[in-house]
Amino acid sequence: MRQRANSGQILLIAAFIMASLLLSAQIYILEVGKTSEEVELNSLSDLISSIQLGSRNVVIGSLANISNGGASDTLGLNLEKWASLIGDQYLYGKNILNYTLRNTAPYSLGVWLDWGVNGRGFSSAYANFFHRLLGREANVDQSYLVNITTTLLITSTNRRLSENTRQVNVTINVLNEAEPAVARQITIYYMVSNNWLTPDETNNYILLNYGNGTCLASFIAAFPTESVEVSAHIVDHRGIYVQANATSTEI
Amino acid sequence: MFDRRGQIRIIESFLAIAVVFSAVLVSVTFPSAPDLSKQESLASIGTQALIKLDTNGMLGNLILEQLWADIKTALDVLLPVGVSFNLTIYDEIGHAVNSEVIQNSNLLGQEAVSAQYVCSTRSQTVHFFVARLQLAWMS
Repeated sequence: MRQRANSGQILLIAAFIMASLLLSAQIYILEVGKTSEEVELNSLSDLISSIQLGSRNVVIGSLANISNGGASDTLGLNLEKWASLIGDQYLYGKNILNYTLRNTAPYSLGVWLDWGVNGRGFSSAYANFFHRLLGREANVDQSYLVNITTTLLITSTNRRLSENTRQVNVTINVLNEAEPAVARQITIYYMVSNNWLTPDETNNYILLNYGNGTCLASFIAAFPTESVEVSAHIVDHRGIYVQANATSTEI
Repeated sequence: MFDRRGQIRIIESFLAIAVVFSAVLVSVTFPSAPDLSKQESLASIGTQALIKLDTNGMLGNLILEQLWADIKTALDVLLPVGVSFNLTIYDEIGHAVNSEVIQNSNLLGQEAVSAQYVCSTRSQTVHFFVARLQLAWMS
């Protein structure tokens, strides 16, 4: 009788120990699971960021190509390659990247080039993306758009120095996605007898770059007529070309 | 008779203590599982370094211009101190393009993780590359 009572105590202690071990194991598994989930989410976020960044780079490169005289279907072809490359990589799961080029006016095949005579020029590309990740841990659907626009705004004034000679000032503003941006290359032209000429040192040509997206070009030239037409051609720091023409105002 | 029963209780309690201590000892000395979260966060650190390097299209340009030493220097700056890395760049069809090894130390014998990053250039002719970054904490 006494032996049965003692063995009962041992059993209780053993059961307590087993329960403690089971509970601690369960807590350990839960904690490890929590950390992995957090890390997995960070990794997915990195993956999504990297694909969006790559898409943006493709659109910028394609617009640089098209604005410098490349074929208008370059953007579509490059994005097709990009989507195919993403689909071929097993990054945290199966990735599917679809894109749509904007085709509503003023865009055609995702591109809009408007190098107007009113002092404004636009080189722009627009594409919508849909990224689907069929992952090991989670499925992710992500929509995003990439709109790359380089805008050039010019205004010009001129002052008569003698009968035919004028000093011309051209103010140039460069914008990337509506934010001031730096131009890699700026070329100024002025029209004389239907020919575009570039001012040089013989014209006392000065180009001041204020470093905030604004430049001021100044030169002296002979104009046989009253009308002074100027043009600015720029390549921004991303290699995107844009130009704009304007009529200079006499002051 | 009464004294013997008391002795048994004492023996039982010692036995219970011994069982509990042995369980504690077993759990302490049991080989711990590898710290996967630390390894995965290292992969995430690597990916974030590549994203930073690629933010202005710099990674693509460095690859195009084959400036392998500059890529190594940039990764030295972007990765935390104490991380060994080895970067291999592949083209679209999977051929390694870096003619020089891009690494700060040898990863042999170290517990390494791998981060894969797909990048495109901003050049007028767009090129695509896959960067495979192997990372390990220096032992």
